[in-house]
Amino acid sequence: MQFALPPRRSPHPVPLSRASRMSSYRRKQLKSAAVLALAILSLIYLLRYFYSSASTSVVAPVGTSGVVIVTLLDRQRYSDSYLKKIVANREDYAKRHGYTNFFASASDYDEAVGDAPMSWAVAPAMRHAMATYPRSAYFFHLAANALIMNPTKSLKSHILEKGRLDDLLMRDVPIVPPDSIIKTSAHQEEKGVELIITQDSENLNPGSFILKNGEYARFFLDAWFDPLYRNYNFAKAETHGLDHIMQWHPTVLAGAALVPQRILSSYSHGSPGASLDGTYKDGDLVIQFHGCEDTEGRDCAHELEPYYKIWEKKTQSD
Amino acid sequence: MTLSRSPSPHPGGGWSSPGLVPASGTVSPNGPSPGSISPGTPGSISWAAAKAKSDEVRGYPSFSTRNGGFFSRQRHQISTRFHSVRRFSSREYVDKDDFGREWKRSGSGCGLLGALRIPVRRGRFRLLLALLLVWIGYLFCWTSIIQTYRRSPIGGGNKFVIILGSNVEGGVMEWKGAREWAIERNSIWNKQRYAQNWGYELELANLLAKKRYSHEWRESWEKGDVIREAMRKYPDAEWFWWLDLNTWVMEYDTSLQHHLFNDLESHVYRDITAYNPLNITHPLPEFWLDELGRSLEGDGKADSLNMLLTQDCAGFNLGSFFVRRSDWTDRLLDTWWDPVMYEQMHMEWEHKEQDALEYIYQSQPWVRSGVGFLPQRSINAFPPGACGDGDNPVIHYEQNAHDLLVNMAGCMFGRDCWSEIYYYRELSNWLGRSGWERFRDGVTDVYDRMTGKVRDEDD
Repeated sequence: MQFALPPRRSPHPVPLSRASRMSSYRRKQLKSAAVLALAILSLIYLLRYFYSSASTSVVAPVGTSGVVIVTLLDRQRYSDSYLKKIVANREDYAKRHGYTNFFASASDYDEAVGDAPMSWAVAPAMRHAMATYPRSAYFFHLAANALIMNPTKSLKSHILEKGRLDDLLMRDVPIVPPDSIIKTSAHQEEKGVELIITQDSENLNPGSFILKNGEYARFFLDAWFDPLYRNYNFAKAETHGLDHIMQWHPTVLAGAALVPQRILSSYSHGSPGASLDGTYKDGDLVIQFHGCEDTEGRDCAHELEPYYKIWEKKTQSD
Repeated sequence: MTLSRSPSPHPGGGWSSPGLVPASGTVSPNGPSPGSISPGTPGSISWAAAKAKSDEVRGYPSFSTRNGGFFSRQRHQISTRFHSVRRFSSREYVDKDDFGREWKRSGSGCGLLGALRIPVRRGRFRLLLALLLVWIGYLFCWTSIIQTYRRSPIGGGNKFVIILGSNVEGGVMEWKGAREWAIERNSIWNKQRYAQNWGYELELANLLAKKRYSHEWRESWEKGDVIREAMRKYPDAEWFWWLDLNTWVMEYDTSLQHHLFNDLESHVYRDITAYNPLNITHPLPEFWLDELGRSLEGDGKADSLNMLLTQDCAGFNLGSFFVRRSDWTDRLLDTWWDPVMYEQMHMEWEHKEQDALEYIYQSQPWVRSGVGFLPQRSINAFPPGACGDGDNPVIHYEQNAHDLLVNMAGCMFGRDCWSEIYYYRELSNWLGRSGWERFRDGVTDVYDRMTGKVRDEDD
């Protein structure tokens, strides 16, 4: 309809040339004003958009750095002399690389663990370490039945360095060996990894893992330590509990990265159940005397002795 | 009559011509005295009528700010006009009232015709036509424009998805009769209307009973799966509002943003000891937890609120709750059902997923910092019969406070779901009357009281 507000001319005739010049000037002004307004509006919109999207992302808390080595000392299972050696081993390693040690006494968590086997204490101990050192980025749990054999190798160069994990990741592998239908992602990338862990020939190995500080860590430890799992009488207590949550809860699995066993937890020759190529070879970071503490006929202190001597020699030569 | 006061169609005002109707604009009517229009009425009644009419006229501007339903109101006025003409001689009072309106209307019609007949300058005529066009556009498109705006990212409506659990058990456990179907139809219609009004998405969840795994019935836990599906389906949405079928949204004009989300922190309490029917230990005493795990109020930031729910007299209630799209929510929905927990607890967890959530809230510290509690009546008011006889101001619906939602919780156990739904449907319609209906009801009320009084005097 032609009546719908056409651009109105002034009803009084004015000199034509002047009028048109005026109107074109006016139009230009209007145009630039409109462009400016549009630009400002879109800027505001974009800012709003970015703000709203930035606030929801969840990453490891900013400003965290460093590594805390968590060792759970169970004085009922290990002799004091044995634990002294383990402590010396950890302290040496921490001093070399500027890490922090957190020695947790298993008896502190008696109440938390309740009637369940004491090995469950690893979860509250990790939580405790995270509460004590909230500014640390990584928490490396290494069980008392393991010895650091290559003290010069830092965790950073060994695993945590950017790009390194991409090479180590075991993708599309059954999370619980040998034939779990739940497999690690075939397209897993370094980004998004919150937990680095290994498996032997039967289970995941909670005796040695690295956990990144953050929401996932809290979730993972709390979910793992749930009383109903502790009371379930899993044959292998916390190990089977870990197998269970990894297989049944994709959000737990999503943050976990599987690396070859010898990266974090090479088994000693006397420890049965090592994965293929999981037995200790010279130069590996860690040797674990897996099962020495609760298998009849084995003695941790006895198994430790030769390796401890090798380690002592290494530290003195450096 | 001057042309500068020719009928100007202002939105919501109808065709009342300012130049012709004495009762226009902000001036109260002092024109024809009611007595002169219908002689013989008692003085008090005509005064009331005049006052009511002036109220009505004054009320117009506020109509125009209401967004929805204007067109229907207009239609309503027309229909009531015919209605009143028919009843002209039978009921004096109503006639008088409507007669006044009739008169005003015809007058305004005259004004329009007059304006067209009188030669006007072209510019003014064009302006008039343009205004007319705008007004017609307003009449027909305003509601949809408003709704489109609300649905857009700027309006924020697309941030919300309402998930309605329907077809519960799909008739597997019990036969679905006419009442069950009626409940279903009405409840869906109710949510549809609310969602459409504010540009929210509505997702109907078909809760067929099915065996999820080989040996467990886990129908109640379907909630988690359904919410996750909705999250995939609506990637732009942030908040997901779960509603049971036996709920009724009472206030269509209250948006979720205004009601809760614009100022979430002030509505939510995180310290469960404020209202703690389950006697949950809070905050957690464990020395090995970090500050967040042991804190009373989580981290205190609105950003970390991932689940909003209410507690009734017996603990958590999941008839109406919100979850936000986040890693936290993914994890919660994932750990909510677990075969090892289920195996040990399914005999004790009478309320299934509700009990499971209560359990996880207590046993896993990471959950607490993400959960916020709302006062029950803000999203989940109960009718009398649930949690007592309706006298608890914390729990039970109060119509004067215009509570947003009623949840007929537990109506399937010894109460009548359909009659409750029906009651609240009618109540919400009545509460949500348009201004004109409100006025008419008021007048009828006054009239009834008057006649009642007269009858009393006769007696």
